[in-house]
Amino acid sequence: MKALQVSKVTKSYGEVPVLKGVSFGLAAGERVALMGPSGSGKSTLLNCIGGIDRSDEGTITIEEQSLEGLDENELCRLRRESVSTIFQFFHLLPTLSARENIEFPLQLAGLEGAEREERVAQLIDEVGLSHRADAMPDELSGGEMQRVAIARALSIRPHLILADEPTGNLDTVTGESILDLLAELSDAHGIAMVLVTHSESVTRICQRTLRMQDGVILEEIATAG
Amino acid sequence: MKSSSPSTLPPVAVGRILWSRVIWRHWKREPWLTAVLVGILSLGVAVFLSVRLANKAAVSGFGLFTESIAGESDFILRPGAGRLPVEELWRIREELTRSPAEIFPVLEVSGALADEPNGPLLRFVGADLVALQNTANSIRNDSSGPGPDSESDGQGRFGGEDSLLGRADRVLVGEAFAKRFQVEKGSVLSVLIHDRKAEVEIRGVLPANPNLPEVPDHLLLMDLPGLQALAREPDALSRVEFRIPEGVHFAENRRLVGERMWDFASENGYLLHTPEDRKSSVTQMSAAFRLNLTILSGLALLVGVYLILQAMEAAVIKRRSEIAVLRSLGVTPAQIRAAWMWEGVVFGILGSILGILLGRILAMGMVGAIARTVNTLYYETTTTSISLSGGEVLFCLAFGLGASLFATWLPAREASQTPPAQSLKQGTRGGGIAVLKRWPLGLVLIAAGIGFAFLPPFQSGIENQVPLGGYLAAILAVFGASILIGLLFRPVSRGLRSGRPGPMRQYAASQLQRPGGRHRLTAAGLAVAIGMSAAMAILVASFENTLTGWIGQLLKADAYVAAAGANSVANENTLSPAVWKEIEASEGVAGVDRLRRYSVTVQGREFFLGGADYNNDPERYLQLIWIDPPAKKGPRVLEEKMEQVHPGWISESLARRLSIEKGSPVVLPTPAGPKKIEVTGVFAEYGNETGTMIVSRRFTREWYGDERLTNMAVYFDEGVDAEEKVARLSEQFPAINVRTNARLREESIRIFHQTFAVTYALEAIAVLIAVTGLGLALAGLLLERKNELATLKSIGATRKEVALAAMWESSGIAVIGYLGGILLSFFLGWVLIFVINPQSFGWTLSYRIPWGAFAMLGILTVLTAGLVGYVVGYQKAQLDSDREE
Ligand SMILES: Nc1ncnc2c1ncn2[C@@H]1O[C@H](COP(=O)(O)OP(=O)(O)O)[C@@H](O)[C@H]1O
Ligand SMILES: [Mg+2]
Repeated sequence: MKALQVSKVTKSYGEVPVLKGVSFGLAAGERVALMGPSGSGKSTLLNCIGGIDRSDEGTITIEEQSLEGLDENELCRLRRESVSTIFQFFHLLPTLSARENIEFPLQLAGLEGAEREERVAQLIDEVGLSHRADAMPDELSGGEMQRVAIARALSIRPHLILADEPTGNLDTVTGESILDLLAELSDAHGIAMVLVTHSESVTRICQRTLRMQDGVILEEIATAG
Repeated sequence: MKSSSPSTLPPVAVGRILWSRVIWRHWKREPWLTAVLVGILSLGVAVFLSVRLANKAAVSGFGLFTESIAGESDFILRPGAGRLPVEELWRIREELTRSPAEIFPVLEVSGALADEPNGPLLRFVGADLVALQNTANSIRNDSSGPGPDSESDGQGRFGGEDSLLGRADRVLVGEAFAKRFQVEKGSVLSVLIHDRKAEVEIRGVLPANPNLPEVPDHLLLMDLPGLQALAREPDALSRVEFRIPEGVHFAENRRLVGERMWDFASENGYLLHTPEDRKSSVTQMSAAFRLNLTILSGLALLVGVYLILQAMEAAVIKRRSEIAVLRSLGVTPAQIRAAWMWEGVVFGILGSILGILLGRILAMGMVGAIARTVNTLYYETTTTSISLSGGEVLFCLAFGLGASLFATWLPAREASQTPPAQSLKQGTRGGGIAVLKRWPLGLVLIAAGIGFAFLPPFQSGIENQVPLGGYLAAILAVFGASILIGLLFRPVSRGLRSGRPGPMRQYAASQLQRPGGRHRLTAAGLAVAIGMSAAMAILVASFENTLTGWIGQLLKADAYVAAAGANSVANENTLSPAVWKEIEASEGVAGVDRLRRYSVTVQGREFFLGGADYNNDPERYLQLIWIDPPAKKGPRVLEEKMEQVHPGWISESLARRLSIEKGSPVVLPTPAGPKKIEVTGVFAEYGNETGTMIVSRRFTREWYGDERLTNMAVYFDEGVDAEEKVARLSEQFPAINVRTNARLREESIRIFHQTFAVTYALEAIAVLIAVTGLGLALAGLLLERKNELATLKSIGATRKEVALAAMWESSGIAVIGYLGGILLSFFLGWVLIFVINPQSFGWTLSYRIPWGAFAMLGILTVLTAGLVGYVVGYQKAQLDSDREE
């Protein structure tokens, strides 16, 4: 089963076309890197896939469900159950501690009691934050915040994670460890990923790399991962 | 975990999660900000409530005497003019032989304290104490509360009234009176009634009874024959009141008595009404004053709403990216909106409760000031007590809650509708309340407002014209201006850039070049507060200008003579012929204008009838200011009767109240039967809103068989020193009021200023609150731009420079708010003066803009805003640098 299928997606802001017919697919558990100069439309594409923005034309299908036919509530449900997003600027909820941020989607999903606690504890452990679990976002470093964001994204056991420059705001060493973490978790849980990036090093954890420019995908390269 | 139903979300209490995890956390993290938010809200509610309470206190103070003593009477029979002869009482008793109505004859006479002839007006009420006693006892038996017995004599409410029967020198007063004038049982008061001095002994103090309304604090109760003797008005009654005993046949009896008395009244030219009729007609007297308060409470309301809107918008905008994150995690827009709306509800309730407490306290201070004005101008009231009814509390809760919900709903809707990707990108800039950006809508609102201004007044009840169109016009203009004010940002930004701006001024200008929703809302709130305050200032200035001109032209005599209590419209004291004739004949007096004033009722409207005769000197006699002048001029034209028709002049407020004009016939009820009047002129009068009709005193003397005068203008021979002559007259007649021209002018102006003292105070408060709002908004703006400030500092800006940027920005918003407000005030002032004012009390005022006051207001607003901006900027810059690393 395909985790994601994007076909001929277009999107413009006013008169300016940003996506000019983008198509690609993603198998379950597969990781793909999306590269390209800034302004080429990577974030826009990712936002459309995640349903936090709407495309103009074309279809986006996630697990055999086409986004075009979904209303706002159904999109919410999709985000709550199968697709997670990781942002360059982390976007943690500032009022919640690291643990609570991770817990939050589970609360939304209605998971209660011991099961939830267990899952949160496991996630904290997996992203290596046991010692910082009760810190507030403004007390965390960039790398730690991204780990929390990753744990939060993983918490709902999504089939697809969309990561927009997850290492863009981190130093090289921290970035590398975050990438290792993503690869490891994706393998462990069989989660498909689209990783938007500037850095070539991301390609090492991806099976394929898509090169984007001016709203179109120029080429597709099979890579190491 | 993946459920199969595709369209509905699992039944998780998302709202509860949002509450405990987001909203509550915000409150906990920023308790200060939360407190400020609630504080602003409560301020809005408090201002609104206190003005309402004060307003209510001002009009509810008036109560008919029996409401205090015998409980509510069912009917009141009054003469259309003058007094009711006591013989009528026997005829009435005959009419009602088999009807079980209790009949209370009442005489009311005004008076003053002997050592304070221009002090508070006293009201002597003479009633049939025996009858009242019975009624009071029956009321007491009904009530379960503690008995109202006075002291130890156990004589019921009027303790020892036997000793009062027939006595012209014994009175009872209420507790409020005793407290106000520092008297007790046994004290002797020296009082003035008409132009005579008398001593009365206080025979008892009526204890306050929780089951009955308080006895007003200016009221002295006497036995009817006693008062008739004291006032030298034997056989005179002011009115007769009827009370139907309660019981199974109450409704039927009431109808029966009503019908009988209605017939009796119409046959004999009397008036019959219920206390409510009378109350509403009398409250009309303070229309100008109430209008004043109504507008002020409107101002309070709007400023309150804007403050609340600003506060709630700030809260939601600040969390805009948070909303986006929540949505990216799968929370639906409806859920987010609902959570924020609930937050609005909680804020609304908390703020309203606090506001109600605060408003009560504020009202107490305000009521004192208002009471003084109302007492001087209209009638004595018991406004010292304010009552906060359950209804009022609910109303304020509803107001606070409504405003808070509205204020939350608008921005919450915006925030939850924007695609989250966009919100995340925009951060805290942009977005905001979209309505504020639609300037064509602003134009449409203003145009509609102008249209509404031309609507005729809405008639609700006999004496109740509501200038609905005018109010609507004002409201629409306010909303229109809130939107159009957005257009001022660019020009002001350009202005800020002019000259050779430093980088900080440039930066501030760039903020105003592309204003965020916050900027617009702040400027709009300021503009509304300033616009409404400035419009009030226009009204007051126009009023003052017109009034001083009027007084200047009207007061041409050298001295003015009146009975004590002359400063109050409600004064009924008069000068006896012996007194005024002696003054007229005294040395140095060249001539006089004489006036006798009566109360008459035509078409259910009570007004003043003045019998005047003017000094027979073509140059020196009272010259009225004409709205529609009579064909013939001269001091004697009123005396020229034309075949059973008497010429009469009316004031413009009377013209409005009776819907008549020059040439209209009026039939006047007089003790000598109905008399025909033809209106031959309409004059301006700003001293009261009830209106006046002036006919020759030659006629009123005949009709009323009365030689007394209400007041007299005196012209001295040339070379007479007015001050000295007045001093001599005062000495000779200590019980009357003799004033020089200068003194009377001065007093008139003083009273005028006193009337508007509350206005000035409240206006100052409104502008202050608006500027405070500006400060808070600015603090919010800078808080949102934390990153921007950090950037400024990182490129080398000092803390002072950041503060300077904030100062420029704040001043810029203040300039915008001020300009918008002044422009708005021109229109609102026009509506007030040419629409609302003529429709509610019919005075012609000339439009006048107090430029000096406006300039002051502008300078103060901009300076204050600049200062606030600097302080806030300085503080925020500090906090940021501390937090950075
Ligand atoms: N809200 C928006 N309004 C107008 N233009 C936008 C908006 N968001 C993005 N763009 C434009 O779309 C293009 C693609 O942006 P983006 O997808 O963020 O690029 P990337 O992530 O590849 O750097 C850019 O040229 C940007 O200017
Ligand atoms: Mg991007």
